[in-house]
Amino acid sequence: MQHRRGFSLIEVLIALAILAVVITMTLAMFTMRAKRMAAANETMLAWQAISNEVEYWRHVPYDALQKGTLDFKSSTEIIGPLAPYDAKVEIGDPNDSVKQVTISIKWQNGKRQEKITINRVHTGGNNLW
Amino acid sequence: MVRQRDRGFTLMEVVVVIAIFGVFLWIIVVLTSDMRTWEKKMPVNLMSHPMVSAVVSRVRKDVLDACGDCNPFPESLGGTEWSRGDRVLIVETMTDAGGDVYAVWDFSKPGEVTRMTFIANQEQSRWTAHGTPAFTVSYIPPPEIKKDPDAIEIKANDDKGKLGIDQVYFPRAH
Repeated sequence: MQHRRGFSLIEVLIALAILAVVITMTLAMFTMRAKRMAAANETMLAWQAISNEVEYWRHVPYDALQKGTLDFKSSTEIIGPLAPYDAKVEIGDPNDSVKQVTISIKWQNGKRQEKITINRVHTGGNNLW
Repeated sequence: MVRQRDRGFTLMEVVVVIAIFGVFLWIIVVLTSDMRTWEKKMPVNLMSHPMVSAVVSRVRKDVLDACGDCNPFPESLGGTEWSRGDRVLIVETMTDAGGDVYAVWDFSKPGEVTRMTFIANQEQSRWTAHGTPAFTVSYIPPPEIKKDPDAIEIKANDDKGKLGIDQVYFPRAH
């Protein structure tokens, strides 16, 4: 008696399901990796803009630092891919001889944020503290 | 008597299999398009290239060490062919021993950046980075800055013209 038949529907479905799970998981891993790379890239762009702004605010004369919230003085072209973003500078004066300049960038509707605070001290000297 | 069951799939079976495979393909398309959207939006991470980050770090060091009381970015370097421009940066900086040295950064050749140092118009050293993007230099006037000299801004775009590097450096007082 010769038993010659192909695969049954159930066998084909199970094989397809296994294939689908394996390929989807592999692709999901690649996608996750790509997203992490993009997130790292975004961080890199944000920090370039922040460090440029820090350079600027380190050199603004101490007496010209007025308490308040301001826009970036330096170019924000580098963070264009993060749009819409919120880039701002907040100047606070915790005491008479110290002013704090906080530079922050928020993007992805505030889900992601990078910021730095620099302290400026009135030394009366070369204006670089 | 031999009974041979030799038939293919029914239409319904084929439709079910194709439908399942279609759903699977749709998931793949969604995942990859998500990936492609991210890739299109972002510039290439140029700073992850070791030679590019080496160039940026060395330019930064030269500018931070630049002469604060004079013009740190002279128009030209007498006795040499070099003049300041958007593809050439001349910095009066210092050696590790603290002596004066002029560093000339040549960004004019595609895919290549060269740093040369000069003392008394004599070339002292030459370092070249390969595989680099096209850098440009601009000079920032200091409207609200008291004693400090001009700053520089170096930029570089990726292959698709997206801005990947934008760095501002001010000389430090020393």
